Amino acid sequence: MEKSYHRKVLIKKHLNEEYYEVMREDFRDVCTYLEKKGGILRLMFATDERQINGTFRLYVVFSVPGKDAFSIIVLPLKDDLTYPSLTVNIPAAHWYEREIKDMFGLFPVRHPDTRRLVFHDPFPADSHPLRKDWKISDEDLKTWGEVSAIKSPSDFLQVEGEGIYEIPVGPVHAGIIEPGHFRFSAVGETIFFLEPRLFYTHKGTEKHFEGMSFSQGVKLAERVSGTSSFSHATAYCLAVERMCGAEITEKAQAVRTLLLELERLYNHIGDIGNICAGTGLALGYAKGAVIKERLMQLNDRLTGSRYLRGVNIVGGVAKDIFRHTEDIMKTIDAVTHEYKDLMKFLLGTVSHIERLENTGVLSGEIARKMGVTGVAARASGINDDVRKAHAHLLYDRLYFEPHTQARGDVYARMMVRAAEAECSISMINTLLESSYKGELSVAVDKAPAYSCSLGYTETPRGSVFYWVMSDEQGKPVRVKLRSPSFCNWPVVPFAVHGNIVPDFPLCNKSFNLSYSGCDM
Amino acid sequence: MISNMIKQILKNITGKKNVIEVPDKLKILPDEEHLTDLINGIDRIFGRSLRIRQVDAGSCNACEWECTALVNPIYDIQRFGIDFVASPRHADMLLVTGPVSRQMELALKKTYLATPEPRIVLACGDCAVDSGVYKGSYAVTNGVANVIPVDFYIPGCPPTPLQILAGLKQLMEKLSSRK
Repeated sequence: MEKSYHRKVLIKKHLNEEYYEVMREDFRDVCTYLEKKGGILRLMFATDERQINGTFRLYVVFSVPGKDAFSIIVLPLKDDLTYPSLTVNIPAAHWYEREIKDMFGLFPVRHPDTRRLVFHDPFPADSHPLRKDWKISDEDLKTWGEVSAIKSPSDFLQVEGEGIYEIPVGPVHAGIIEPGHFRFSAVGETIFFLEPRLFYTHKGTEKHFEGMSFSQGVKLAERVSGTSSFSHATAYCLAVERMCGAEITEKAQAVRTLLLELERLYNHIGDIGNICAGTGLALGYAKGAVIKERLMQLNDRLTGSRYLRGVNIVGGVAKDIFRHTEDIMKTIDAVTHEYKDLMKFLLGTVSHIERLENTGVLSGEIARKMGVTGVAARASGINDDVRKAHAHLLYDRLYFEPHTQARGDVYARMMVRAAEAECSISMINTLLESSYKGELSVAVDKAPAYSCSLGYTETPRGSVFYWVMSDEQGKPVRVKLRSPSFCNWPVVPFAVHGNIVPDFPLCNKSFNLSYSGCDM
Repeated sequence: MISNMIKQILKNITGKKNVIEVPDKLKILPDEEHLTDLINGIDRIFGRSLRIRQVDAGSCNACEWECTALVNPIYDIQRFGIDFVASPRHADMLLVTGPVSRQMELALKKTYLATPEPRIVLACGDCAVDSGVYKGSYAVTNGVANVIPVDFYIPGCPPTPLQILAGLKQLMEKLSSRK
């Protein structure tokens, strides 16, 4: 008899994406098998295709190990809106399933934690915004905004025992940072358990995409997460271009690759500086901030935006960055010099390094199981970089290796950033040496009805994925975005367990996660 | 050496100079007059110290990084007597960014009420002005003014540190004429 984990039917093949349809009873077996074989769960989402084929559909996207390919498991749900939860076997699916429950009302059976994720308590029950026929009354909207998000007695997980006390923090924090609520259960100074409550900045981004055309959507993608503006817009544009079958020119690819690396560079150096703020090393913080500012001003001169906005368009880019080659080279030279100076200073400051070592340790096993991505994954020994695993743009021509560290502490995350920053500098210099053919952008045809595609790239924080689907008129049916912060937030509690409360900002800064990117 | 230092300190305390000299490299506004206006305004209206509480009400984090940049050694906003504080209870002004997501609405109102009067509210960035690119989404309230009273606006996506500084300077002018 055929094993249940092989029972899947290839329904569609598009570029490096293979879509397999499965039956409800085989869903968990098939996905678990793929994960066991080394597939990485990249994203999981649902669509409301009731107007097209009468079903809701679940999509689970895995990277095929060692190959530039994606296996996408599709599960149609018609009358029974429940499905077997994957979380039991694949913990990385935890937040995705809770998100799908909130946004679509599809229920994961046997999920260990079925509380709401995205919406706070005052949001009306049985209301699922990403359903096509969803409506909300003005009165419900008013209640949603005005009623307290935290119930009393609260629905946070409780830790009981002698000497345990709770510290509630946020959503409005002390620094100039984004909002989120943290509930610490501490024993003396030691954090025993932390539960974050996020999604305060939920802006309904995915639903908002559906009301725009694909070309307008670039502007929104740029504003999902401020410091990853360019990566988000690139992943979004790549998804739309792949869906429409457009081939962008070598020149456009070069501009995108160059700006992706510039974005990585200013983020990594800024983050290394910010870690100093966590240890109270004012000089290191100031030096990092100055280098970052120089790079931001370079961004401004190149593109007219300090956050590299307004460059990406569907079909290519709007600005030719290679006109400024000399300026880039000069600035990067100066920055390299200052940056090396900063690293020498940091690594020679024992009091700083001692605070970083063995702080906020994230074990490789937890990182792998929870599907951590980006710097945090590589600092815990996971050799995964979308630039390498699924080479896109000009990354197949550039020589680089993902840098990994084994220890998974704050120090490891800082050193991964340091290595990647140097790697970015050399990539930028290499890219500037050649000249590239072609126009800046090409015309993009309307997408075939109900076609869909993935788009992805590596942001400074980790991989970002977009999945887009078009209707008959070439308008978006569904835009799914998965930012790296959504994968990494669930592991922050593991990393801070056993650390002291005053080290929480340090641990948090070493991950440098975006609230807005996670909350969408 | 030490006597020199003491002399310098005494000079600083007793001297009449209330405009801090800005080294050439750090000159950031087009003309000196702008700086003088800003500093005079803060000196006169706020008794030489303007304390700002920044509140993120659903921004994408770009506006926050621009506020953070104001504190870096290049802009060094603290030399004008301006600083960002950790609690609304210490603040003269709230600087609000983001379109005010529904899930932040209550927190923003509470922060506003925790700020001592007379309080000034500055909506910073396109989202805070009219929710910018997020206009019409179910999860935002279409701008800060729909939630708490707003006194001043600085548009931009995000406004650069220089634009925020220029905005603060204009704000001083408006406050002076109000008095």
